[in-house]
Amino acid sequence: MKTRLTAICAALVLIVAALPLTSLAQGVEAARVQETVATARFKRAAPYRVGVAAGYLSNSWVVFCLQHIRYEAARHKEISEVLVTDAGFNPGKQVADIEDLISKNVSLILYWPVDEKAIQPALEKAVVKGIPTVNTGGGFTYSPGTVANAFIDQVVLGDMVARQLFKDMRGKGKIVAMLPIAGTTAAVDQLAALRTAMKEFSQIELLSAEYGDWNRAKAKQITENLLQRHPRIDGVFSPAGQMSIGVAEAFEEAGRLKEVVMSPGDEYNGWLKWVAKHKRGGAVTFPTRVGQEAVRLGLRILNGEPVKRGLTVPSEYISPASISRYVEPTRPDDWWASTLPEEWKPK
Amino acid sequence: MRLTDRGIYWVLATVLAAAALIPEFRSLGNLANVATQSAALAVLALGQTFVILCGLIDLSVGQLTGLIVVLVCDVAAGQDAMTAPALLLALGLGAASGAITGLLNNRLRIHPLILTFGTMSVLQGIVFTYTDRSVGRAPAAIAWLADGRLLGLPVAPLLVLLLAAGAHVTLTRTRFGMHVHAVGGGRDNARRAGIDTDRVAATVFVISGVSASIGGLLVAGRLGVGYPHAGAGFELDAIVAVVLGGTSLAGGRGSVAGTVAAVLLLGLTNNVLNLLQISSFIQMLVKGLIVIGAILVNQPGGRRAFA
Amino acid sequence: MSTEAERPRVRPAAIASWLNAGWVERSAIWVVLVALLGVAALFSDAFLQPSYLFNMVRQAAPVGVAAIGVTLVMVMGGVDLSVGAVISLAAVVAAVLMDGQAGNIGYALAATLTIGAAIGFANGVLVAWNRGSPFILTLGTAVAVYGLTQIYSGGTARGIVAPGFREFFNERIGGLVPVLALLFLAAATIAVLVQRTTRFGRSLYLVGSNPRAARLAGLRAARLTVTTYTLSGLLAALGGIALLARSGVSSTFAGRGFEFDALAAVVLGGTTFEGGRGGVGGTVAGLLVLFVAFNLVNILGLNYNVQRLVAGVIIIVASAAYTYLTSRRLTESRLWPSHHTSEGAP
Repeated sequence: MKTRLTAICAALVLIVAALPLTSLAQGVEAARVQETVATARFKRAAPYRVGVAAGYLSNSWVVFCLQHIRYEAARHKEISEVLVTDAGFNPGKQVADIEDLISKNVSLILYWPVDEKAIQPALEKAVVKGIPTVNTGGGFTYSPGTVANAFIDQVVLGDMVARQLFKDMRGKGKIVAMLPIAGTTAAVDQLAALRTAMKEFSQIELLSAEYGDWNRAKAKQITENLLQRHPRIDGVFSPAGQMSIGVAEAFEEAGRLKEVVMSPGDEYNGWLKWVAKHKRGGAVTFPTRVGQEAVRLGLRILNGEPVKRGLTVPSEYISPASISRYVEPTRPDDWWASTLPEEWKPK
Repeated sequence: MRLTDRGIYWVLATVLAAAALIPEFRSLGNLANVATQSAALAVLALGQTFVILCGLIDLSVGQLTGLIVVLVCDVAAGQDAMTAPALLLALGLGAASGAITGLLNNRLRIHPLILTFGTMSVLQGIVFTYTDRSVGRAPAAIAWLADGRLLGLPVAPLLVLLLAAGAHVTLTRTRFGMHVHAVGGGRDNARRAGIDTDRVAATVFVISGVSASIGGLLVAGRLGVGYPHAGAGFELDAIVAVVLGGTSLAGGRGSVAGTVAAVLLLGLTNNVLNLLQISSFIQMLVKGLIVIGAILVNQPGGRRAFA
Repeated sequence: MSTEAERPRVRPAAIASWLNAGWVERSAIWVVLVALLGVAALFSDAFLQPSYLFNMVRQAAPVGVAAIGVTLVMVMGGVDLSVGAVISLAAVVAAVLMDGQAGNIGYALAATLTIGAAIGFANGVLVAWNRGSPFILTLGTAVAVYGLTQIYSGGTARGIVAPGFREFFNERIGGLVPVLALLFLAAATIAVLVQRTTRFGRSLYLVGSNPRAARLAGLRAARLTVTTYTLSGLLAALGGIALLARSGVSSTFAGRGFEFDALAAVVLGGTTFEGGRGGVGGTVAGLLVLFVAFNLVNILGLNYNVQRLVAGVIIIVASAAYTYLTSRRLTESRLWPSHHTSEGAP
């Protein structure tokens, strides 16, 4: 009895504590996300061949996402095969890959783009042929070539990260932003979310927004120069944990780690290890299980059930105190905290 | 004629035969796809054939293609009225870049490898300073050129055939073509024979630049947007195709037909590997081995090619 | 320099010219470096601070170590563009083999260096055996190695660095000089000594400047080729280890593009594709010029991609300047048997 009461109290406390973090941000194009998609014409009988047109596979996040896809596919007998193509960051090749998947008569195409606009014509060809397309993990696309999206809202994510950072900074100071590859949904949405959140915190000043391309070494080098240019930096906005490690190391080597507040990163294992060691920073998740959601979404479409244009997988905040439940010290840095069963994790 | 000169055709025939065993390969749609997908590379390789036949090399074509893709889409912004200006811009830019490279090559007397390596870096810097993300939109006419059909046949491969025929005729029947071979076979000898080697060299660079223009138009049409990374790596692919096709890197020997056959082979290989679901990582390894194989097969005939 | 008694009977013109008047070229790049530092200091006094400068050397260390190998290969008349791929592979392999255990460090490093040397060996054999273009050949090797790296790692950089490994290399001696920077300078010094004083070093220059004479002198070009490329592969692997020390585990293509920066540094330093001249000393200066330029671009707040533009311009200008310097000197001294002009390449 007593333990149950404690549990309920703990839950309530957690909910109340988490409330400031549930986003006040609107999130991405809310109306369009909620739009219902008519899927009757995609209905077809099993067995299904699922095609995955990967924009790139040389990135640990997508490797995990793909494993989630495979795992979910294995749980459904009606999926006979998962065909994967890799465009290696070449949008021209991704167009060709999608065309090849269409030739192979797949029933469903899951994809994450190198460049969203470049592949739309090819995706439209698929849709015209009755093959539904699901944008997986990339962002939200509203376009004839994309039937539905399973994604993580980067605006909400960016907002959560920004607000936690401002809270830890007590609402004032100078910050720098470290963003991924310029022009990607992630970079654009995160920066937009930061600027919007900053409107409510007039004492926060953005010194510079830099693009570290999800590259730890590059982020470190850029930060070394930022440290040289700006004698005082109070906070770092860096939602991508991979880059956060590089940024933090640069501060540490310059002897300025104590003066700066690191924003939450994501659940990149290397970053989680850093958080566990330094007891600060935390994480806002970018769940790799969006791959599973995409498969499930695809199956619903193939079943003719109406779905919403966008299915979001929510991000969660993990405080530095709770990091130990997520970090895997014996696993590599280039690894992600996930809900994958052990045997499905990348080898 | 050496066996290796004809070698590419044997390899092509073999791969075609093997590919025909894969059911999905045999569909007309797939074949049309392969031809269309290879078109841009074919055009670039044609330009590079001229350059390499002349004993030179042009590493800047990849980034030049990228620059053209970005500018064409950004300037056109999807409007049909802007098609002609965009076309002119592409051709003009390619020709200008080629002319500058040719001029520098003649004046500076540095190795074309280093020169075009430097210009490649400069062009890359220009592209990414201009934009770091996709911009603009290709006009419908250019998209049709890259992806459309004429009387049921895909347009881009037809364009390639036309250009290849023109290149072949130029190289084998015109005086300029003979000069290109002569300069490639020995620059000093050609000069002593009265050929204006500087002009020939400059002209082939212009041809290379224009090939990047046309290739860029095709890529822009296919992608539909000005993607700045669009040209990366194209130069290596083009050089590999030329070399695989039997053209010697030392200059003086080679053919257009070989280049086209090699481009087809590369496109087929990609297609077959995809259809067979070979992992992209292994595909990368295979690509590297193909490049190495291309060089090994390429016998410069006793004379050492440049670095 | 070396004694007459050790010279082979045939006296290639190359050695004579190298001995006589190379100092102008060799010092030119150092003058440029000092001048550039001066200009940079005008924009930011960071360039006057020793800690910043040493940090820059540390930044440059991975590329620099690989560039040493590329220099030696180019002096010999070849080129090795697979170094970026080998660096990437080495960084991944070393971390995977270390697997987070300090006890594995020795084994991991030894294995990594061996793999680099093996790839270099393969390059050397291919180049020696086939008279085609090492430029394209090593680019092909690079693609193949990237493929191998992806296959080995499965797409994620799976390694875990052993504790203490990175700390050791990033520690600043006397609070100032990072160990990594010191090690790079040490490697460069050793290389300079090798190239100036050993038989091996002199043979490189000989083969590069006048292959025919070298063959007449009894030098086995094929064996030298294989050795040099193997060395280049080894040094590239060392560069990969340096990168791992500096940046930790990051990705499966951490060294991408390094081959172009290395090539730029080598060319800047006075070593050319024709071979037979230049050297590691110049490369170090060239490397520093490049990195000062990159950092200046960054500190000025310019677009990161302007670095590419700057690099390209520097390469063209530097090469043209060197060609001008050498041809002027050579026409004056009439020492050079112009063996290039009849070979088809301009």
